[in-house]
Amino acid sequence: MSAEQIQYNQSLLASISSQNPDVNAAAAQVHQYTEMCKAGQISPAEYAQLLRDIQSQINIQAAMAELDAMETLNTAINGLITIASLIA
Amino acid sequence: MKKIILLISIALSGCAVVDSYLMKYDPGEYTIITEIRADAQNYKESCSNELMSTTNSVALANKTKLFVLFSEHQPHNEPVIKASIELDKIAQGLKTQYTNEGKVSPMFCKIKFESIEHSAEAMQKIIGAKPR
Repeated sequence: MSAEQIQYNQSLLASISSQNPDVNAAAAQVHQYTEMCKAGQISPAEYAQLLRDIQSQINIQAAMAELDAMETLNTAINGLITIASLIA
Repeated sequence: MKKIILLISIALSGCAVVDSYLMKYDPGEYTIITEIRADAQNYKESCSNELMSTTNSVALANKTKLFVLFSEHQPHNEPVIKASIELDKIAQGLKTQYTNEGKVSPMFCKIKFESIEHSAEAMQKIIGAKPR
C-alpha cells in the first residue's frame, strides 16, 4: 500500500463522526494502530491482524446487544405476566 | 394457600416464556468467560517475556476454544455462540503469531490480550444478567 493510499484512508477515518460511541472508538483504534505500524512498533502482519480483531470486537458487541435486548424483553414479559396474573 | 398456588403458577409461566427464546443463566458458561477475562488480564503483564507469552497465548487460545465448544450446542444461545467464535478468532490469532511467525512485538501481545480482556468483560456482564 502506498503512502498516498494510507493517507487517503487515514483522512477517511478522521472524517468519521458518529452518534454511536463504539464507532468513534473503533475509528480511533484504527488510527492508533496505523500510527504504531508507521512507527515500527508493530509489523504489517500484526497490524493487519489487529484490524481484523476490531471487526471481531464489533461483532461481539452486536451479539451482546442482541442478548441484552432479549434479557430486557424477558424481564418485561415476566413483569407483565405477574401483573396480569394478579389482576385475573 | 391460594397465594402460594398463585406465586408458583406465576413463576412457572415465567420459566416457560424464558425457555422458548432465551437460555437461562449457566454457571459453567459464566465461569469460563470469567477465567478468560482473568487470564488475559494477568497474561498482558508478561508480554516482555516472549517464552512465557508463547505459553500464555496457547493456554488462552485453548480456553477460548473450550468456550466455543461449551456454548455451541446449547439451545436458544445464538448471541453467545456468535460472540464466542469471534473471541476465539482473536485468541487463535495471537497463538498463531507466536507459534508460526516466531517474532512477536510486545506491543502487539499487550494489545491482543487487552482486546480479549475487554471483549470477555463485555460478554461476562451480559451472560451474568441472564435470567435465573
